[in-house]
Amino acid sequence: MSAKKYGMSIDVDRCNGCGACMVACAVENNIPPAHAGINERKGITWIRVYKVDNGEDYPGKRSAFVPVLCQHCGEHTPCASVCPQQAVDVDPQTGIVGQMPERCLGCRYCMAACPYHARYFNWFDPVWPAGMEKTLNPDVAPRMRGVVEKCNFCHGRLHAAKQRAAAAGTEEIQPGDYVPACVEACPTGAIRFGDLNDAASETAKAAKDANSFRLLEKLGTDPKIYYRSKKDWVRQIASAPKVGQPHENNVGRTPRSARDPLVALLAPARSSAPSSAPLPTRKETLHG
Amino acid sequence: MTTTRRGLLQFLGGSAVGALFTPAPWRLITDTALWSENWPGIPRPARGEIRAKFTNCSLCTAGCAVRARSVGDQPVALAGVAGGLCPFGLTAHHLPYHPARLKQGPVKEAAAAVADAIAQCGPSEHVAVLDLRPGRTASWTYRRAMASVHNGLYLAPPEPTVAVNLRNAKTVLSLGAPLLDGWGTPADVFAARDGFRLIQAEPIESRTAALADQWIVWDRPPGLSADATSLSALAQAIAGEMTVSEAATITGLPADQIQSLVKELKDNGPALVVDSEMSPAVVALNVRLGSWGRTIGPRQEAPVPESWKKAAPRTDLAAVPDRSIRVLLIDESTPGEYLPWESIEKKLAANAVVGAFAPWTQGYGRHAQYVLPTAVYPEALDDIPPAIDSVAAAFRIAAPLVAPPAGMVSPVEFIAGAAGLPASDALRERADAIHKAGRGTLVTYADGKSIPVKDVKPEDFWKSLNAGARWVDGALGAAVAAAGVASGLGGADPLVRSRPPGRLSAPAQQADEGVGSGPGGPPHYPLTIVTESRAAFLSSPLLSQIYQESNLRLAPNRIALHPTDAASSGIADGAHAFLETRDGKREVQVTVDSSVRPGVVLVVGQTDTASSGAKVVRI
Repeated sequence: MSAKKYGMSIDVDRCNGCGACMVACAVENNIPPAHAGINERKGITWIRVYKVDNGEDYPGKRSAFVPVLCQHCGEHTPCASVCPQQAVDVDPQTGIVGQMPERCLGCRYCMAACPYHARYFNWFDPVWPAGMEKTLNPDVAPRMRGVVEKCNFCHGRLHAAKQRAAAAGTEEIQPGDYVPACVEACPTGAIRFGDLNDAASETAKAAKDANSFRLLEKLGTDPKIYYRSKKDWVRQIASAPKVGQPHENNVGRTPRSARDPLVALLAPARSSAPSSAPLPTRKETLHG
Repeated sequence: MTTTRRGLLQFLGGSAVGALFTPAPWRLITDTALWSENWPGIPRPARGEIRAKFTNCSLCTAGCAVRARSVGDQPVALAGVAGGLCPFGLTAHHLPYHPARLKQGPVKEAAAAVADAIAQCGPSEHVAVLDLRPGRTASWTYRRAMASVHNGLYLAPPEPTVAVNLRNAKTVLSLGAPLLDGWGTPADVFAARDGFRLIQAEPIESRTAALADQWIVWDRPPGLSADATSLSALAQAIAGEMTVSEAATITGLPADQIQSLVKELKDNGPALVVDSEMSPAVVALNVRLGSWGRTIGPRQEAPVPESWKKAAPRTDLAAVPDRSIRVLLIDESTPGEYLPWESIEKKLAANAVVGAFAPWTQGYGRHAQYVLPTAVYPEALDDIPPAIDSVAAAFRIAAPLVAPPAGMVSPVEFIAGAAGLPASDALRERADAIHKAGRGTLVTYADGKSIPVKDVKPEDFWKSLNAGARWVDGALGAAVAAAGVASGLGGADPLVRSRPPGRLSAPAQQADEGVGSGPGGPPHYPLTIVTESRAAFLSSPLLSQIYQESNLRLAPNRIALHPTDAASSGIADGAHAFLETRDGKREVQVTVDSSVRPGVVLVVGQTDTASSGAKVVRI
């Protein structure tokens, strides 16, 4: 099998923020309904759609929806390099960054290292309402409390596609035969998936589009998730303007709000948990 | 050699250090991790033969074609066949296991009470059925049942009388319709999206407004729908019967915006104007634009048996005399448009018997004496009325994917039995009537074929419908199959053949009333409630993904406010508050969102809280 480089192109201008990708991902990967008390920080969303805006107030405000998942970094994969248990690996045959919960010790170094905050920790045992466990996907094992998990481009589907290819007497997976659940579910066709090494694939073509961009590209992690938007202000979000300051290419506009979730997500000074509240100064801490 | 204590300790210490250089401890860690992964507390997915089944989703009128992946007979995943599914459709296989699911009810008591009440019904009293989703085969049964009882009434929300063809449109003006957020058949809407320019006019930045080519901030009226007076003014401006400045005064839009809007609708045709309900005023505007027969036409219905034609017509609830309904049976088994309980309650006689057929108790069940449990999609066998963008008549069945639990009540059988209608399989009868008509095409998704109905045997036709196939009228079926879209949008024949309605004019007065006009007036109810289109219904617990874990969509217990309104009420983002209307109050959590128009409270569709005035009170 020739080496693939699976990736996605997400057309932000087509995403209506319906959340079908999030729900389809949870169904496919046996992610349980939220435990009582789970909030945006402790919930598990392998793909999460963020609502972003241009920083202006009504009626000048314009919004867009940006799905963020594991970016499947190709170079210097931060999570893989910090894992003490080798529970994270980058498959050279597919380019997929995988996570092995059986090996995970739950140290969460990878969560701290991931600049996209696309990793989630299991704070609770997985519990489904009585009877609903019958609807679990047989191809994916539920994970226990205390391990980290993340998007793996629906590994179960990759295995199924490999088996189908083998049954057909070939090693090559045909384009379209392997599609992650979020891509399949997207009603607007905003998310596309394919082999970035295949120049003929729609994903590879979309990645080369003039309006294409990647999140935090300056970090040099070579993400395989490409976004596309014709709107300047959407593209600028990807380069993580500092909270409360106008972007260098956005002089004269209203400073972006610290409450903007994606700005908070991508802001360089963030800790591993998203929060818009200012950190206490040493003096405040001392005086409690 | 003597063994000393020192030697023993040295041996033990050396062994402990040496063990670290063996695979043993690492193996122990791995095994512990593996054991903990599979410990008995973690549910194990079922194993078995994987099968694919096909059906149609009945959660809304889009009726998306669904491919279910099943282990044995148990569906474990749902996917769209001709495009994606919405989050509700994707998780519909969880509904039978919802913790709030109603599992038993007083069936015998309800049957006896209804029979008694019908027998004792006075000459001026009515027996009524409220059907939340008209246009189904079940609706025909209710209408026939109500025609066979004395003073029977068939109550239902108004059905759209027209269908639209987005594929033919080049310019679409949407007056608050959630065109890109679940309107019509989403797969078809998005398939046609690149072909038209979308202008969205509404007071809030909805998901459709965010994706539209142009968002016109129409600040008046503050509800989601446009008022008839403004539409009439717009129509007259298009026809040149009114100056742009006059239209600007009436509509509240800037004159230059009206000028460009009129020019675009006239020059970049075929144009289409839509609103949430496809109100008569909007249809009249389309006729003015010359769109009738091109992008809009009459709604088509699948054939029904001749013997069904003696059926009670739909009666508007407002036309029913107050305190006159002796028996009211409400079919709430499928999601539909809820009517406010207050408007129903005043029509009930003092000794009225109210029965609700519902899968849960959160809807009308709170007000009914008898709540009878029903099967829910994907357990229930039902058909789906055509969507607003279904140009051709269509017939599709939501075939059950799993068997309903014991004790479920069929509202159709109950109501037909109470009215004395002979037991029959109405869906099968209708399928036979469609087959007998001999026209149209059968589109099967399992093998992607499109076969003329005249080439299919009646038994095979029925079997195919139960296996997820759909019947599409006329020659459109082939085009549908070729385009791979979900409804009859492939051609425009039915529209071209049709003629516009003879009299279509805007109602004299509509919509604008009520904003702060109640006894309390604006000082007490300064905010206007704007309801998102989705009605409340049973939904999968997994939708916590979009409500609780991401706050991507407003949860039923949340409202959204503009920062200035939140500040004036002293409420912070995420705080709990009371949403208070003239009808009552309930506790909500507040999302502060600057994309909400000031003066508006954005809520998700609720049965009881729809109101023109509200205030938010800090707890």
